[in-house]
Amino acid sequence: MRPPEFIHSTTFRWALGVAGAFGICTLLLFGFVYWQTGTYVTGNIDATIATDVHLEQNKPREQVVAVVNEHNLEDPRRVKLAGLFEPDGRPIAGNVAALPPGLPLDGMAHPCKLIRVDNRGSELQNVRAVALRLDSGDVLIIGRDADELGEIADIVGRALALGLLPALCLALLTGTLLSKRAQWRIDEMNRRVQRVVAGELKERLPTGGYDDPLNRLATIVNEMLDQIERLVNELASVGDDIAHDLRTPLTRVRAILERGRDTAGSMQDLYTATDRAIAGLDQSLTIITALLRIAEIDHSRRIAGMATIQLPEILQAVHELYQPIAEDKGVTLKVELDETATVSGDHDLLLEAVANLVDNAVKFTPAGGSVTLRLLQRADGPIVRVEDTGPGICEADRDAVFTRFYRSDRSRHATGVGLGLNLVAAIVKLHGFRLAIMDGPGCRIEIACPAA
Amino acid sequence: METPLAKILVIEDDDGTAEEIVTALDERGYVLDRAADGNQGLERARTGAWDVLVIDRMLPGLDGLAVIETLRGEGIRTPVLVLSALSAVNDRVRGLRAGGDDYLAKPFALSELAARLESLLRRPADPRETVLRVGPLELDLLARAARRGRRELELLPREFQLLEYMMRREGQVLTRAMLLENVWNYRFVPQTNLVDVHIGRLRRKVDGSDEPPMILSVRGAGFVLRAPA
Repeated sequence: MRPPEFIHSTTFRWALGVAGAFGICTLLLFGFVYWQTGTYVTGNIDATIATDVHLEQNKPREQVVAVVNEHNLEDPRRVKLAGLFEPDGRPIAGNVAALPPGLPLDGMAHPCKLIRVDNRGSELQNVRAVALRLDSGDVLIIGRDADELGEIADIVGRALALGLLPALCLALLTGTLLSKRAQWRIDEMNRRVQRVVAGELKERLPTGGYDDPLNRLATIVNEMLDQIERLVNELASVGDDIAHDLRTPLTRVRAILERGRDTAGSMQDLYTATDRAIAGLDQSLTIITALLRIAEIDHSRRIAGMATIQLPEILQAVHELYQPIAEDKGVTLKVELDETATVSGDHDLLLEAVANLVDNAVKFTPAGGSVTLRLLQRADGPIVRVEDTGPGICEADRDAVFTRFYRSDRSRHATGVGLGLNLVAAIVKLHGFRLAIMDGPGCRIEIACPAA
Repeated sequence: METPLAKILVIEDDDGTAEEIVTALDERGYVLDRAADGNQGLERARTGAWDVLVIDRMLPGLDGLAVIETLRGEGIRTPVLVLSALSAVNDRVRGLRAGGDDYLAKPFALSELAARLESLLRRPADPRETVLRVGPLELDLLARAARRGRRELELLPREFQLLEYMMRREGQVLTRAMLLENVWNYRFVPQTNLVDVHIGRLRRKVDGSDEPPMILSVRGAGFVLRAPA
């Protein structure tokens, strides 16, 4: 028969190990208790009988005989021994058959075997005994049955059996139950993970109400699944958005080419149509390029060209780049830099981020309006702020700005592919900065650059 | 047809892309050959007398960057234009560090490729020159002064730089991306027609209303500065 599966489980093996260790410790403890108790009892016996013997050292024989008889009088358990012997070894009184050969007459307690003789017969006993030659020349032996120690061993053993066996059983039972339970939970997790693998991204692992490693793991896995589900959904919607944003210019290109072929009256007409078609295709390519850039920035773990960047220099450069375009549009582009500030980052990426913010601001601000580029110094680091007098971004649209491809319907008429702010968000995130969109007269966007 | 019979080796594994490049350059009067993988490309680059090499970043066999590094290691200094479908932020830097002279990310317009190749084929005017002249246009780099004929041009610093860059590459088509990269030192493509606006401003200063235009737009490609005919 195959052993049940739980026997192989780690929990069960642990339980088994703990039970074993517990058993060994208990055995050692009981052994120690036995040994200590034995030593104590033996010491007590030895001291008592040695004292008894020495008390008789200088007494006359008659008194000693009386003491011996009295000593042996009350002894229903037959544990007491005493005997008095003539100097030549013949017994005078007591219940000891003969002088034991190995027992030295030194007044100290020794283990030895004695033959006990009393009215119930004779018996060989293991005893602790003291022998001493008295002043009278007689030899006095006083002993006590050492089998009492065996009784102590019995008691200790019984206690051990009573305590240890149930404890071991309990440990094994607990181990089995725990391992069964863990096994069940892991099986359950396994089943659910299999469902996720099969594509059911809504599935989550079970988490109990309390805090244990398995639950914590399940919680982490669930958070991971949330993230995966969000990314997959995002990917799907990005796919839709790409399709939409690419289909629009491509449809236009197709229409232009078709009409050009059907209606062009001259080579010049055909050139015009082709140029418009190429411009349309370029727009599609720009979308793809922007998308790839966002993806690559999103996936960059670190910045390769990390350096100390002068923010005023970046703002000046962007201002200079966009000044003519703003002017052509009748928008005032101002830059206000009373602060000097440095951040650590990638020059090209930061320039691109700020340029994109200004690009957007200039694009959406109607003629007569203004765009202000400001550098502010806050306690936790510099802030780059771009303010415009355009239509602004309404509360509901703000979060959406940070998702790819968002373009508020109001701005659909403006050129650009609606990826600018996404790009900015990706760059800001890569640097560990914060992007905030606020109410201003129009729109106010800030990049907060806390010192790392 | 500015540089007739210039010889170009294209090392590109994708047949379709290679064919487009070869056809387009062939029409512009270059002599072309193509290698389809890294090892073959390296072999031909070593043996032929090429004026410029177009090398794809990812090639079967030997990687494009390895080809460039090997050539540079052997002391072959032929200009190289790196093509790459990778869009990694650092890929451009890697391509240039390996010894590439210019870098073009796919997808690209053929006009962009042609303009960049032409730029590699032509040596810009002697960089030690302190006064540049194109037709009636004169740029004094030391005095930071520009004039067309007897008319003084008042240029902003960036406009001066832009004009200098164009005058050093007289008659050469310069794309928007090339101008952004080399004049403004920007590596991204802005969403608005920034370069056009800047060129427009420069043009209004350089080309007076009664003067023949010197800064011309090239349809679908970019801009060119030319002495008036």
